[in-house]
Amino acid sequence: MSTDALDRHAPAQSGIDRALGLLDGFREHIEHVQPTLTGLPVLWVRRERIVEILRHLKAPPASFSMLYDLSAVDERLRAHRDGLPAADFTVFYHLLSVDRNEDLIIKVALTGGDPNLPSVTRVFANANWYEREIWDLFGITATGHPHLQRLLMPPTWHGHPLRKDYPARATEFDPYTLTVEGQQTEQEALKFEPEAWGMQRERDGSEFMFLNLGPNHPSAHGAFRIVLQLDGEEIIDCVPDIGYHHRGAEKMAERQTWHSFIPYTDRIDYTGGVMNNLPYVLAVEKLAGIEVPDRVKTVRVMMAEMFRISSHLLFLGTYLQDLGAMSPVFYSFTDRQRAYKVIEGITGFRMHPAWYRIGGLAQDLPVGWQQLVQEFLDWMPPRLREYELAMMKNALVRERTRHVAAFTTTEALEWGVTGPNLRATGCNFDLRKQRPYSGYENFDFEVPLGQHGDVFDRGQLRIEEMRQSLRIIQQCVDHMPAGDYKADHPLTTPPPRERMLQHIETLITHFLQVSWGPVLKPGESLQMVEATKGINSYYLTSDGNNMSYRTRIRTPSFPHLQQIPSLMRGGFVPDMIAHLGSIDFVMADVDR
Amino acid sequence: MPYRLTRAEEEQESSDRYPLGRRQSSEEYVKSQLERNVFTGKLSDVLNSAVNWGRKNSLWPYNFGLSCCYVEMTTAFTSPHDIARFGSEVIRASPRQADFMVIAGTCFIKMAPVIQQLYDQMLEPKWVISMGSCANSGGMYDIYSVVQGVDKFLPVDVYVAGCPPRPEAFLQALQLLQDSIQEERRPLSWVVGDQGVYKAEMGSQREQKRSQRIEATELRTPDKL
Repeated sequence: MSTDALDRHAPAQSGIDRALGLLDGFREHIEHVQPTLTGLPVLWVRRERIVEILRHLKAPPASFSMLYDLSAVDERLRAHRDGLPAADFTVFYHLLSVDRNEDLIIKVALTGGDPNLPSVTRVFANANWYEREIWDLFGITATGHPHLQRLLMPPTWHGHPLRKDYPARATEFDPYTLTVEGQQTEQEALKFEPEAWGMQRERDGSEFMFLNLGPNHPSAHGAFRIVLQLDGEEIIDCVPDIGYHHRGAEKMAERQTWHSFIPYTDRIDYTGGVMNNLPYVLAVEKLAGIEVPDRVKTVRVMMAEMFRISSHLLFLGTYLQDLGAMSPVFYSFTDRQRAYKVIEGITGFRMHPAWYRIGGLAQDLPVGWQQLVQEFLDWMPPRLREYELAMMKNALVRERTRHVAAFTTTEALEWGVTGPNLRATGCNFDLRKQRPYSGYENFDFEVPLGQHGDVFDRGQLRIEEMRQSLRIIQQCVDHMPAGDYKADHPLTTPPPRERMLQHIETLITHFLQVSWGPVLKPGESLQMVEATKGINSYYLTSDGNNMSYRTRIRTPSFPHLQQIPSLMRGGFVPDMIAHLGSIDFVMADVDR
Repeated sequence: MPYRLTRAEEEQESSDRYPLGRRQSSEEYVKSQLERNVFTGKLSDVLNSAVNWGRKNSLWPYNFGLSCCYVEMTTAFTSPHDIARFGSEVIRASPRQADFMVIAGTCFIKMAPVIQQLYDQMLEPKWVISMGSCANSGGMYDIYSVVQGVDKFLPVDVYVAGCPPRPEAFLQALQLLQDSIQEERRPLSWVVGDQGVYKAEMGSQREQKRSQRIEATELRTPDKL
């Protein structure tokens, strides 16, 4: 290992010491301390004590109040496992402490044909869906889970798709057909059974109404289903049902090269465009050891912020439409058209430019980009003022949204809520400030905060966030560094063109790197970014190949939807629609 | 003009595959009956074209979205693109009130029975636009959870290429659907003439625009706006 690589391990060392200190009472249960490129301490612990260990870590002094992520890896085909405990499957728990701005990854090794481990739903409420997900996709049983059923795949599905022995391609199966009989079976399987969820059908002689909202509903923002148990207008309980938008992006990453997976990232949070490329390419660059030039960093920030504005504008239009205001969407889409003019001028595409590259960008900024961006920067502020006057200061909107679907910081952390929805509760946690990446430390901007964590605050905060994004973009225009748009590194993909024209050897290298793709050393890396809807991260495991061994995509909307029942019990149907509008989710960001 | 004729089956078997109905190539039925009654032929032409004119200019879309393409479809509904120019601004939230359904996005195996159900709930006459690569063929998602093209179980009238297609492409698809509706022959009444649905075979734009496309020899470089 080069000294350079050792240096990159260094920042984690103090964190490892602190983590070991916090787990002093559990020393004999810690199997291994894994060195990674994630920048976080990674500890392997024994399965038997996982519940106690997590409970200990959640309480003070450790105060890891949020279960940020929970997923698994099928380790059976992994070739480079130097020093790691023997495992067929690994389950990892990513804990986050907002107070101390510190993370910890706990891993548990599972062996044998029937992998299982104790459920941690009693410690972290939001482990519920994550454990259902690893049952669904890996076949790992969480014993003691209150409702261990499929989450993403249909209830009639066979097999566990993220296992290494499960075929990835649809074309490896028989072509899809739907028969009249099959249609009836599937419809029957979709039927909601209240008893299966421990729900009563009636109370004091009067029947509850079960309302099936979705999978296609105008205010559900895509293929999302939620079954409501109603007593009149009041929601007694509700059960969200997801998985109608599962595109298998994590499995896809195991067959696309590091380079050719970039376009798939755009389509995760499909209103976020290149914002999705950012955590992925940053994580790959960590694995490859690439340091990009300042110009690349600044252009990446500029385009990511453009997409934040475009996504927030979409939010604003649909949010107010869900409240019953018809015209705002026409205004905000007019602005989005302006944003797309800039985005298309620079990247050549509207929604999914896939414009970032490993070690750089697809191309340099076009001649005359400053004026294009400046026009947008001059256009937006009066529009935002108008939105605030016409909508957020509107008495009807205020009455309709104030103190509706409000939650506190503690509740938000318990459910893994991040991003604007967390900041609306007054919690000052924005990764661009707390853990700056891609040069955010060089920008002057503020982090808007809410007070009440209600539907109103979530809307108002996003308008303020757009202002701050405009500020950041203005600084990009004013101080764009000169320099190259690609890093001078052997793993930069596609490699700089000048390198290939020297002689036949360089041409062959170039050809291999473009067709075969770059080969990255074995290792694990992780990058979190403050995406449009919350914290989005890519946890990459390389097995020394030209594609990833496992790509875990942690998306913010998944926990946001899981939180709905805890918030809406006792609420009214129209309030739930207002809440759905205010959390800003897209289903691809939930189901991936 | 050659037509593709769909006949509804009287009897349904439980093993029948979607799309239901028998389809075959055919000549327009009026032609074969022309010798028998010249006058009726002409009247039905006038009637057909009047009814089709009405149908094609007030197509009500079903508010149905799956993924990314839906965002571009919605963009076409808003003021910069203004779908009202083509008489399709009346977005219906219920399939029973809608005339056509746009499969805007990826068709998932979990979603397919739901899409079929919604399609069945739409009333005739109804049409389907498949918007974007995923709906056309699965596109870049050749993956276990995705149906490789919505035409595996729905009869599609217009395919729109793109990932996602621009709003302008969607508007063009709408106009193509209108052109096709103008040529359609449907039963004018339950007692008049043939009861089949005759859809014109319009040919693909890819073929029709080929010569125009290959005329372009110089493309703009990306380093200028």
